[in-house]
Amino acid sequence: MNSVASLSPTRSTLKGVREAIPLLGGYIPVSLSFGVVATQAGFSMWEAAAISALIYAGASQFLFVGMIAVGSPLWLVVAMTLLINVRHVVYGPNLASLLPRSHHWPWLMHGLTDQVFALALTRLPQLPAPERFGWFIGASLLAWGVWIIGTMVGATAGETLTARWPLLGEVMPFALPALFLTMVAPRFTDKRWALALGCTIFSALFFTLYGWSNVAIPLAAACGAICFYMVKFKARRPNP
Amino acid sequence: MSTSLWLAVVASALGTLLMRVVPFLWMQRRLNSDTGLNNMPQWLGILGPLMIAAVLGVSIMPVNPSTTSWIATAIGLFVTLLVWWRLRSLGWPVAAGVAVFGLVQLAAYI
Repeated sequence: MNSVASLSPTRSTLKGVREAIPLLGGYIPVSLSFGVVATQAGFSMWEAAAISALIYAGASQFLFVGMIAVGSPLWLVVAMTLLINVRHVVYGPNLASLLPRSHHWPWLMHGLTDQVFALALTRLPQLPAPERFGWFIGASLLAWGVWIIGTMVGATAGETLTARWPLLGEVMPFALPALFLTMVAPRFTDKRWALALGCTIFSALFFTLYGWSNVAIPLAAACGAICFYMVKFKARRPNP
Repeated sequence: MSTSLWLAVVASALGTLLMRVVPFLWMQRRLNSDTGLNNMPQWLGILGPLMIAAVLGVSIMPVNPSTTSWIATAIGLFVTLLVWWRLRSLGWPVAAGVAVFGLVQLAAYI
């Protein structure tokens, strides 16, 4: 009975919801900020919510409303938005072998953000195959729903909230690096991986520190990949 | 919003969705084809964990960078790693890290 119950779609969906909760530490403050920025740029609450629901990609949404606010040509706004999101191209293929075939993927893959990808790539291999589809639905829908609601709250009361609890906006986002650290830590399996991962983390931080946060993820991953392929450690010979 | 602005939103949304869906479906079809059971390129399997590491690197940057927030980040990450080392789970290390990060920030605030 228990094994059947644990494989039910509702249970696996709820499991996905529960395991995606740490992501909200990052999603809530950023979506609140987006709501504030969008209204300041002249968008209504519903328009900001529509942008969050349809584009659903943090950094590019900020760029989108920012460029619209300064009167950039629309073709350039669209081109830049897509250029920032091009990193998503490598996420899907990495999950392809972990998820079952379904005709729902064309709309479900809308939920494949940086954070959902990182969580899915870590958790899906640990789950039984029948649970994975429901798990992905739960995790991605929670993140998407909170992103939209956070935008709406930010657009209506964001400035009041951040003024009342200034520390909240600083503390909650720490859930993201903490979560990603627990995902990356098990992958430090040998010197080669440790060097490649360390190189990626520090180069991503470096690019972000110098204002290149929009391209930091693909550039840092490329640095790590170069490091992985260029540096090879020799296996230590046993003493005679 | 004007019609042209809505079109820009829809074009950005559609383009982003296609970048998420098309490579996924392409790889799923390839994996299930007659050419092999698991023919995912090796470089792609290496790029996945590196992308997570890159997301970690980007997210380490504090919201308001200052000496206090950097110290809080370092302590918070250390505690997260320590709790992960003991428990090997996702939830508790994150909760402990956020709590310690918040306490350090609060202590500096007071």
